[in-house]
Amino acid sequence: MNPLLEIRNLAVAYGDVQALWDVSLNVEEGTIVSVLGANGAGKSTLMRTISGLMRPRSGEILFEGKVFSGKRPQQITAAGICHVPEGRGLFSQLTVQENLELGAYLPSVRGYFAQSLERVFELFPKLKERRHQQANSLSGGEQQMVAIGRAIMARPKLLILDEPSLGLSPIIVRQMFELIEALNRQGVTILIVEQNIRQALKIATRAYVLHTGRVAMEGRAEDLLANPEIQKAYMGTLD
Amino acid sequence: MRERITVYLGGVVVLGLAMVPFVPGAPDSYLFYFLFLFFLHTAIAQSWNLVAGFTGQISLGQHAFFGLGAYTTALIWQRQLFGESYGYYFDPLVLILSGLVAGIFALMVGFPLLAKLRGDYFALGTLGFGEIIRVAFVKGGQFTGGPFGIIMPSSVYETLRPHYWVGLALAGGLTYMIHRIRRSHFGLALISVRDDELAASSHGIDILKYKLIAFALGAVFTGIAGSLYGHYLFHVSPDGFLNLNWTLYPILMAVIGGSGTVLGPVVGAFAMTAVFTLASVSYPEIHPIFSGAVIILVMLFMPNGIMRLAKR
Amino acid sequence: MWQFLSLGLLAELTVNGILFGAMYGVAAVGLSLIFGTMRIIFIAQGTIIILGAYLVYWLFTLGGIDPYLSLLLVVPAAFIAGAGVYQALFRKAAAISDKNTSLLIAVGLMFLVQNTMSYAWTPNPKSIVTGYTALGVEILNMRLSFTRLMSMVIAFAATGAVVVFLRRTLVGKAVRAASENMQAAMLMGIDPHRVNAIAFAIGFALAGAAGVALATTYPFDPYFGFVFALKALIALALGGIGNVVGALVGGLALGLIESYSAFFISGGWADAISYGVFLLVLMFRPEGLFVRSIKKA
Ligand SMILES: Nc1ncnc2c1ncn2[C@@H]1O[C@H](COP(=O)(O)OP(=O)(O)O)[C@@H](O)[C@H]1O
Ligand SMILES: [Mg+2]
Repeated sequence: MNPLLEIRNLAVAYGDVQALWDVSLNVEEGTIVSVLGANGAGKSTLMRTISGLMRPRSGEILFEGKVFSGKRPQQITAAGICHVPEGRGLFSQLTVQENLELGAYLPSVRGYFAQSLERVFELFPKLKERRHQQANSLSGGEQQMVAIGRAIMARPKLLILDEPSLGLSPIIVRQMFELIEALNRQGVTILIVEQNIRQALKIATRAYVLHTGRVAMEGRAEDLLANPEIQKAYMGTLD
Repeated sequence: MRERITVYLGGVVVLGLAMVPFVPGAPDSYLFYFLFLFFLHTAIAQSWNLVAGFTGQISLGQHAFFGLGAYTTALIWQRQLFGESYGYYFDPLVLILSGLVAGIFALMVGFPLLAKLRGDYFALGTLGFGEIIRVAFVKGGQFTGGPFGIIMPSSVYETLRPHYWVGLALAGGLTYMIHRIRRSHFGLALISVRDDELAASSHGIDILKYKLIAFALGAVFTGIAGSLYGHYLFHVSPDGFLNLNWTLYPILMAVIGGSGTVLGPVVGAFAMTAVFTLASVSYPEIHPIFSGAVIILVMLFMPNGIMRLAKR
Repeated sequence: MWQFLSLGLLAELTVNGILFGAMYGVAAVGLSLIFGTMRIIFIAQGTIIILGAYLVYWLFTLGGIDPYLSLLLVVPAAFIAGAGVYQALFRKAAAISDKNTSLLIAVGLMFLVQNTMSYAWTPNPKSIVTGYTALGVEILNMRLSFTRLMSMVIAFAATGAVVVFLRRTLVGKAVRAASENMQAAMLMGIDPHRVNAIAFAIGFALAGAAGVALATTYPFDPYFGFVFALKALIALALGGIGNVVGALVGGLALGLIESYSAFFISGGWADAISYGVFLLVLMFRPEGLFVRSIKKA
């Protein structure tokens, strides 16, 4: 069977500055895949290219076996990829509920609006209380709930999370990882970029390590977790 | 190497152009007037380029500097500030003072504006400044001649030759200066401010100082250009000199040619001067309509300017 | 001068300021919407208002159509024209991160339209005189011009309609989302060209409404549009860029400033004072005068 997402030999550049070289990556349906790497390694660039915010210079992106590289973001979103960008990308002047409504903006999922909203409010009762508040009046953890809730509204097949734990307290981070696993059990495939390497590897099936725009290492998450090189390079100081 | 050749070629072209006034009959031709306008436009386009193209600060107040330069010349001359027997017509001191006055105003407004405003807000701030200057001159009463402005004695006019040479020197000199600046420490600092202000300041570049110097230099040259045009019209008025067109034209020319490049504004000034004069000769009544259409078309089909198109 | 100053006069200055300021306000609301999604100051907005005023003028002069009735024609036509202008002129430039291109296209459009109007209809000022032009309405001992009052009503109604659209409809919410964060909006599946086109369409429709308001109250000429755009820009800065209600309030404030300074200082300086206030606001309250600064959560 084909993987849900297949990336072949991707090269991406900002103007004259190349950020990704020859990146290949597979995400099997139903799994959690982590992408790790130092700051500036190209993780966010990879995610932005998958969701169509950037166009690859060369290489291919296939989703459900169909070529998606070079398509526009709304086509990619419509196909079932939902990307929660680094820094969450909330509409801070809009209310919580308005943010959630926009998550279900596309006609293909708007029919499920009430149902999805209920699901989000079940997951995050806090958001129900605060539905009419402006998003920027929420705490960091609550804002992350809105961001993930908004993604759930889009009923994605593949959920991309770019550093979801950024700026959150350790307790909230733990809850968030539990939530990600729960979503995964409900059938959502997940591609997650993380600095919290130990936790990201614990929940993941497979992982890729990017180093200055190239895939430096890849494998089963548990193997990488046990790999002394990874431990030395990324976990010594962080955890 | 190619750059060297371009510089030498440019020098040869400038020298050749400097000889044109000696060709019999040339100073009376329409082409001669066209070249004069081309030089004037190049000077104001390069001045804007220095500020916007290299530091990324879009100034919409260039008409104020153009007008300040022209009014300085007109006021010095009308009041005979250096005595009655002094020759004011094309006096280097008068030209330089005209530029300096514009430059001093640029420093005075540039300091608070550049320190406090970024991006669009800086552009809007300079626009507000330009309009205040315009209103101040319109309402200046006796001192500025009000809405009518100031008339200078046109009896001194004999030929367009001095205008031509001063224009050429201004355009050529400014273009060469920008070429030199671009490779200098100063120029690299300017460009790094444009591309990434945060990184530039973390590398210890005094952003405000560099922006301010570029802004003031642009104002000085625009002021001299204003003075030069005053020497041609002999009538300095708010409508003629503090007109927003003197901000729009340089932007248009620099962007059409390719802002942030050395030769772009020259190419843009040439192209737009040609469009303006052709339109005003052949279809005087629809010239501005035609110009508007050209701006739109150029921006639609070569948004990065002619120079960058040629590079590809 | 001070001895003439009575409460009645002050009230009249205030009312006149508000009536004229309402028109700056609608123009500013249009600028605000287009700035929101496109990040450009659409400098041709004032010129489009003048074009709307000419349309009303010709409909009235040649077709005998009542100016207020022509709202029904001018506003929808302007709406469609706005979307068309976006698709034809700005669509390509909107994708470029350098905003100079869009800005210059707007400048070119302004040149083109204002000079075409001047060529076709002469630069001489035009004005509409109807049966109710001289009509006055007596309110609280003040005689207010009926047409100016109507202009204010049009301005308020138009802004109100835009606010309802932005707050109550999904597309309106998408426009607000895109104004705040275009990339995140794209990740929701929002088509940037669609929201840009809507912003232009509404901006033009507002210009059409403002054209009716202007044509019925003041003489206008082709070149007045640019001054109008500058005034709208000041109103925008006063109200806080990217804030629709603020833009209307900014317009009213500017109308008041002009009305007072024209009386107390002298007509010609009113402009300089507006620009001075504009500069001060830009420097010291760039978020606008009427917005409570948003506290970071
Ligand atoms: N908007 C941009 N313009 C130019 N270069 C960028 C931009 N965004 C990121 N880069 C560069 O691309 C590289 C990868 O960045 P990014 O994908 O954000 O890394 P990561 O998410 O792994 O921290 C870095 O060298 C960064 O400087
Ligand atoms: Mg990143």
